[in-house]
Amino acid sequence: MKLLHEPLSGRSQAVLGVVGVIGTAAVWEGLIRSGLLDVAGLPLPSGVISGVGDLLPDETFWDAVLFTLGEWMLGLAIATGVGVLLGGLMGAFRSLFVAFEWPVEAFRVLPSVAVGPILVLLIGQGMLPLALTVALSCIWPILLNTMYGVRGTDTTAVMTAKTFGNSDLAVLRKVKIPSALPFAFTGVRIAASIGLLVAVSAELLIGGGDGIGGYILTNTANATDLDLVYAATLVAGVLGVAVNLAMAKVDDVVFGWKKGLAQ
Amino acid sequence: MTETRVTENPVPRAASPAAGSAELLLDGVSRSYGDNLAVRSISAEVPASKISVIVGPSGCGKSTLLRIISGLDEPTAGRVEFEGVPVKGVPEGLAMVFQDYSRSLFPWMRVDKNVAFPIKHLPAKERAERVRFAIEEVGLSGKEKLYPWQMSGGMQQRVAIARALASHPKLLLMDEPYASVDAQTRADLEDLLMRIQSELGITVLVVTHDIDESVYLADRIIVLSAPPSVVAEVIDVDLPRPRDHIATKTDPRFVEIRGHVTRLLRSKEHATPV
Repeated sequence: MKLLHEPLSGRSQAVLGVVGVIGTAAVWEGLIRSGLLDVAGLPLPSGVISGVGDLLPDETFWDAVLFTLGEWMLGLAIATGVGVLLGGLMGAFRSLFVAFEWPVEAFRVLPSVAVGPILVLLIGQGMLPLALTVALSCIWPILLNTMYGVRGTDTTAVMTAKTFGNSDLAVLRKVKIPSALPFAFTGVRIAASIGLLVAVSAELLIGGGDGIGGYILTNTANATDLDLVYAATLVAGVLGVAVNLAMAKVDDVVFGWKKGLAQ
Repeated sequence: MTETRVTENPVPRAASPAAGSAELLLDGVSRSYGDNLAVRSISAEVPASKISVIVGPSGCGKSTLLRIISGLDEPTAGRVEFEGVPVKGVPEGLAMVFQDYSRSLFPWMRVDKNVAFPIKHLPAKERAERVRFAIEEVGLSGKEKLYPWQMSGGMQQRVAIARALASHPKLLLMDEPYASVDAQTRADLEDLLMRIQSELGITVLVVTHDIDESVYLADRIIVLSAPPSVVAEVIDVDLPRPRDHIATKTDPRFVEIRGHVTRLLRSKEHATPV
């Protein structure tokens, strides 16, 4: 029997992926070198790669990466704590949902980076205002996913817990929150990529020269080595991909049971 | 209106007084949703340490009635008494097995954790002992570390029964417990229920739309009419125990009772067009 779409083997998928990346870089390199594309400031892939090579031994760069990572993780942690708590409560209690629905909708559309300068005014420079900016953008997918996860808890599961004599609060703790956790985690995964974007953006806009954003800013200001700037951007991107992969793995291992959730 | 209904439909006297004291008493229980009357003045007694079965056509409010008995819902009129005490909220000593085992079991817990769910407050040693006993009782020893969704439907329903047993219920309510499993599994689970009930002496109340099942399982059958449901008749089943799927179901008495229940359900359905 032949399937309509034969699944590719893992090996041919990997080969195709590598060919695609190298091919794109090669075409890009060719376009610039041949003079077909003549725009100042466009990076040569080969230049960026060697830029990455220059970055790797650079301690200031790694300090910047660590700073960004810390800021991002702090922001994500704050967003996760507050988002799961608020979302869980809003999902569990109708009155809280009604009370907070519009404030949430209003704050949700607020561009968090725009709030950044206010935070700097309020609490001064440093990692905290940056992390809070990250948290402000990360909280929404976490909060909303947790809320809908809790509200979507299977009614039979809830009735089961109740017939064993559990109070509403115990049902929330023992059944609704656990069954909403995979949804909350999906929220965290979405938030994580948004968070990295916002972390670097915030460093560019309101940072004090720290982090990957600060590093890029310093080097473009000096206008010395654009390849280095692109290389730093590339490293940030690779970081993001790596974190996403790690989280997908965690999702698979910790929340593998979600395939048992009734559809 | 409700008051007159009660006098029009007194608790039908069961044929034999063999049943013990009433564990559960329904007295004129009605439930309406807005203008829609789901059950109308249900009165019946569920004897202690016996299997009683509520049978009725689909949509006759059987599940509504179970929700009221379990304290998850309140009647709009009438009352429910469990061991002589009016039911307000979920009474202690009650366990319920639902038709939809895949929704009733918690997918993030392995079998042993699911079974331990109702007895988390107990000391670890007693808890472990009860879990072991309950799992053995339903024939699932060795499957403790599986997730429910890795098991067949019949095995999942066994887990749900084990979980109910672990809570040491005085009253076991079952809402169409075998409506979602295949015929062979169903027969096995019916026998499992009867064995456990006779071993542990629990009071069991099963709701089903399956007439064969009701006669096969029951010491007492409470026949409901089509909605808005009333009790059509209460029948005490005098078939000998232990029962089995071949001997019991070919017993002329079984055939007779089954025919009687079938006629009751037919005539009521025709009398009250839906």
